[in-house]
Amino acid sequence: MSAASSTAVRRRLGRSVQYVLLAVVALIPLFPLYWLLISAMKTPAEFSQIPPTWFPSMPALEPTITALTAVPFVQSMLNSIIIAGGATISVLVTSILAGYVFAKHQFRGRDALFWGIIATMFLPPIVTIVPLYYLVSSMGLSDTYLGVLLPWLANAFGIFLMRQFIQDIPDELIEAARMDGAGEFRIVWQFVVPLLKPAIVTLAVFMFVYAWNNFLWPLSILKSEALYPVVLTLNRLMSYTMSFEYQNVVLAGAVIASLPTLLVFLVTQRVFVAGIAASGVKG
Amino acid sequence: MTTATTASPRRNTVSPPMRRRRSKTAKWSALFLSPAMIVIGVFTVIPMLMTIWISLNKWSMFTSITDMTFVGLDNYTRLLGDASRMQAIANTGVYVGLSVLITIPLALLIALLLYFPKLKGKGVVRTLLFATYVIPTIAIVIIWGNIYSPGYGPLSAMVSAIGLTPPGWLSDPQWALLSLVIFNVWQMLGYYVILLIAGLTQINEELYEAARIDGAGLVRQTWSITIPLLRPSLVFVILMTFVNSIQVFDPIYLLTQGGPANSTNVVGFEIQRSAFQYGMAGESSALAVSLFLMIVAIGGVLGIIMKGRKR
Repeated sequence: MSAASSTAVRRRLGRSVQYVLLAVVALIPLFPLYWLLISAMKTPAEFSQIPPTWFPSMPALEPTITALTAVPFVQSMLNSIIIAGGATISVLVTSILAGYVFAKHQFRGRDALFWGIIATMFLPPIVTIVPLYYLVSSMGLSDTYLGVLLPWLANAFGIFLMRQFIQDIPDELIEAARMDGAGEFRIVWQFVVPLLKPAIVTLAVFMFVYAWNNFLWPLSILKSEALYPVVLTLNRLMSYTMSFEYQNVVLAGAVIASLPTLLVFLVTQRVFVAGIAASGVKG
Repeated sequence: MTTATTASPRRNTVSPPMRRRRSKTAKWSALFLSPAMIVIGVFTVIPMLMTIWISLNKWSMFTSITDMTFVGLDNYTRLLGDASRMQAIANTGVYVGLSVLITIPLALLIALLLYFPKLKGKGVVRTLLFATYVIPTIAIVIIWGNIYSPGYGPLSAMVSAIGLTPPGWLSDPQWALLSLVIFNVWQMLGYYVILLIAGLTQINEELYEAARIDGAGLVRQTWSITIPLLRPSLVFVILMTFVNSIQVFDPIYLLTQGGPANSTNVVGFEIQRSAFQYGMAGESSALAVSLFLMIVAIGGVLGIIMKGRKR
């Protein structure tokens, strides 16, 4: 065998190994997701079989329908949209305004203030849950949407991300707008915001996913089931159906509760993933 | 970068119209900053200070705050004498340590596989990996609770199929914490892979070409070029893994409630349970401050590592 053909063989072998590895890596996220989907489509009888079956023999919609009707699932999806949507819009506004100041305004103590805010990014919410609960309930806002929303109206990550992207906008552009007599509000709205589209998409998806998925804070502050976001309703469904035959209903509920964030992610993933990546390397 | 170079000379030579403009923007700086500052100040900074204060007091959450009595470091000394809570701290250490030790090498290997070879379908795999990050934790809890269930679950079926006796996973004190670590790794892996791939894109291709000309193989290139130059990203990802896993709450609350035999009790869960179930706000806050100090310590160490490398 000549040297050239042996390297060709070795290269092809290397390539096959790489594809096998890629397939193995793909299985890491795929298998649990596959298991979720098929379990949610199994009939109660098939679900309680030992050992479990790897394909649903008769895909059934029944668990999904039960999940939607046994608890106020639709209502709680709407609650989640209100809460996550409200938090997202507010974080976008507060972060763009603050990020603009930190990127383009000069004043004494600016950088110290900025890094002080960034430090709060590493403070886990669990550390402040007790006083936060006390504060919000002494404002008379426990068990309200506003009470859930208040701590989520602004955050350090948003300010950090926006400052990173606004720094890349040339100063000359902003100076030119000022020369033309544009006020600061108009500069932000007319010149900065249009250039921030990738950053806005990234932050919007990030915040929406965060608020949609957050369990601890709504669990602490909400009492009325009518206000429950979908993660709390899912928790109630879990405790409702402790008996094993109904776990497929809970799994079906998990599929429905995950759909909005998955959908938002899939639609925006190119921009979102690039934005998240940039937040890590530019730091 | 652009702001730093253009702004510094301006600061030294402030012309009269410039100064006027700066005082004009000062009003706008304050106006634009105030919404974010008020929210972060009232709902993050003040609660942090309150946590420290409450940790020095005896207060039942179920009574009025006026019943709070100052007890100094009592809650901390009591914490040291409480076997169950000390175990929660130890469990958190194990959980965080295992999460970092499993996540970082795995994420690095996958990032290398997804970045370097020209393979069809790597984009799809990347998307799939990242998708687990956007699913609500409770949904993931439900999936894994089912995967881990003895008898009905696929994991036990697979272990039985190769002729071994499956452990009780979440119901076995020896396995429960590890089962929760695997769950955490699965959820967060894609996020860290993306961050590491972003770090890999920053490395100059020419370095690899030069190394190849010098006859360096793949392993040598990875060890001598990729890992050292990826260090800032690696440190950042370790820090994120650490901050993320030290506050674990949802899966404990939803799946194990700290059990069996206190084997999955962690600080995050104990903070919430002490305060909201038992009303012991002082003890809970002492734990919260301890958690905070652990983060500051590790963050400091990682910061020093970062700085040392830059020099």
